[in-house]
Amino acid sequence: MKPIPEQSFYEILEIPQDAPEEEIELAYQRAKALYGPGSLATYSLVAPEEMALLNRRIEEARKVLLDAGTRAGYDASLPDSPGQTLSPPPSGPPPSESPLPAAAPAEPVATSPVQPAEAAPPGPTSVAEAAPPAAAEAAAEGAAAGAAAEAVPPEPQVVPPEVDVAAAIPEPASLPPRAIEPPAPVPAVPIAAPAVAPVAAAARAGFSAPEGAAWTGEMLRQAREGRGLTLHQLAERTKVARHHLENIEADRHRLLPAPVYLRGILISLAKELRLDPQKVSRSYLEGAQAAEAQPAAPKPR
Amino acid sequence: MGEVPTLKLVSPPVPSPRRPRPAAPRPGPRTRRVISVGGGKGGIGKSIIAANLGIELSRRGRRVVLVDADLGGANLHTCLGVDQPRKTLSDFIERRIERIEEVITPTGIQNLGLISGAMDHLDAANPRYAQKMRLLRHVQGMDVDYAILDLGAGTHLNVLDFFLVSDHGVLVLVPEPTAVENAYRFVKAAFWRRMRNVAAVFGYDPLIRSLLSGNTFRSPVELVAALAQRDPDAARNLTAQLANFRPRLVVNQTRTVQDVDVGNAVVTAWRKYFGLEMDYLGPIDYDDEMWRTVRARRPLLLEHPGCRAARAFGRIVDGLLALDSAGARGERAR
Repeated sequence: MKPIPEQSFYEILEIPQDAPEEEIELAYQRAKALYGPGSLATYSLVAPEEMALLNRRIEEARKVLLDAGTRAGYDASLPDSPGQTLSPPPSGPPPSESPLPAAAPAEPVATSPVQPAEAAPPGPTSVAEAAPPAAAEAAAEGAAAGAAAEAVPPEPQVVPPEVDVAAAIPEPASLPPRAIEPPAPVPAVPIAAPAVAPVAAAARAGFSAPEGAAWTGEMLRQAREGRGLTLHQLAERTKVARHHLENIEADRHRLLPAPVYLRGILISLAKELRLDPQKVSRSYLEGAQAAEAQPAAPKPR
Repeated sequence: MGEVPTLKLVSPPVPSPRRPRPAAPRPGPRTRRVISVGGGKGGIGKSIIAANLGIELSRRGRRVVLVDADLGGANLHTCLGVDQPRKTLSDFIERRIERIEEVITPTGIQNLGLISGAMDHLDAANPRYAQKMRLLRHVQGMDVDYAILDLGAGTHLNVLDFFLVSDHGVLVLVPEPTAVENAYRFVKAAFWRRMRNVAAVFGYDPLIRSLLSGNTFRSPVELVAALAQRDPDAARNLTAQLANFRPRLVVNQTRTVQDVDVGNAVVTAWRKYFGLEMDYLGPIDYDDEMWRTVRARRPLLLEHPGCRAARAFGRIVDGLLALDSAGARGERAR
């Protein structure tokens, strides 16, 4: 179990990495039914932004995985060999070895509950799955311990220093149900995203983009500061986790997510900073890939 | 840690020297299992479910006591068709009666007793901490096979503590947004209370507080991950303790296949976002016989043992017993 932004497309759709296309489509339909707007089971479960994020990832996953070309590129960008579950990009020093392998995400229970066919008989099917609790518990423990060992830097947002832990959980419940409708999915691989008011706007904002120069993290930082935004504000507006933004600005390429994600992040980042999304993402990705010692992932499209 | 009845801890991760295990029946009377029925929202059938689970279990030869722990709005006796009992939980809470066994009222059903909820004293709706602890201790000490607690609505700490102390915390929802919303609020509140209890017992309080002062954690996974960076051992132990938090889900008043599937969907979504498990015990079909029997103040399982909803209770009890026997096996293997 890992945070949504770090789950691979396969994990998002809960399918194996060698799943055939029909299975991907089915898994997509299932996920849309479960996490899409209007789903009863996830109503008020998490904050609307998080639900929106997951929905974007689901759309992205389908788009990338159903195209043989982009899928091959994506698979190649996954750190592990096919068949392995994706381990997240190391975003911090691993604090310890977990007692159980992190790659065992509670299989005994993770198998059927999503499948509509399973639900048709009103019998308590899940109980049977829970029957070997030693195994299930061990797996759950393993998954949780694995998650513990993943050492994810905390998400942005500042919490008021509450003593009451119960109050620290975000309560989206007070919002009207319409409000949880996620925004239209952001295209993962924008072919021709409109270049929103590129360099001129940036210049107005007090930061002049060097024409033709490569976009680096440092320049993005200057662009952000030129617009008077803190990392925190930018993270809130773009819904990109702050540690990603920090890593982008510090050019810590190895800690950044796979290029497919990174591109999406860069595009929303650039849009927010009123820069040319295409230029920024391409330029930054090229720089990152050049800097990588290891063979870079093939560019999608 | 027996003196903290609100907290059930899993055995510590350090390999302890094998203690001699007591012979099969433990010395001294002890409730084998505590089931609590909660769900946050009112009017979703918690009391009816508690009553019928009690009947079903007692019919299978288990000795059961139903405890009306809805301290402000007790009406479990009405679900069972029992007249308002003379002795109630408030007599016990106010110490007019010392032993909880003396408050048990017979229900006319073999093997099934009832401890009726407080009816008179408004004070009893909000027992002091010590009174609550005493109640929990006595409930756990009863010489029966199952104590079933019918919890009130809301997320009051009393309700949460009763839920957390149970072997089976049954989470009830009906397939409606209001009930789903309250169920999530309830189960999140219960989870964070357990987290805090565990942290207090093991002295992780300052650590967790310092983590919380700088960040928002959307899920326990994130909090535990952050904790792991500071103190891997604490994170490991906390993870093990929290994995114990495993509500049993029941979806009441299902009318369609989609309604039934809400249970599976909740389990999946809960795992996806919070990395935690639930067990779906199954649906209870919406059944007109149900409200007819409620209106007549007769338990469903006595009036219409063959109807759809009644059969659903049978399946749910099957599920609970399977979890128990599997749990017992796991315990022995440990």
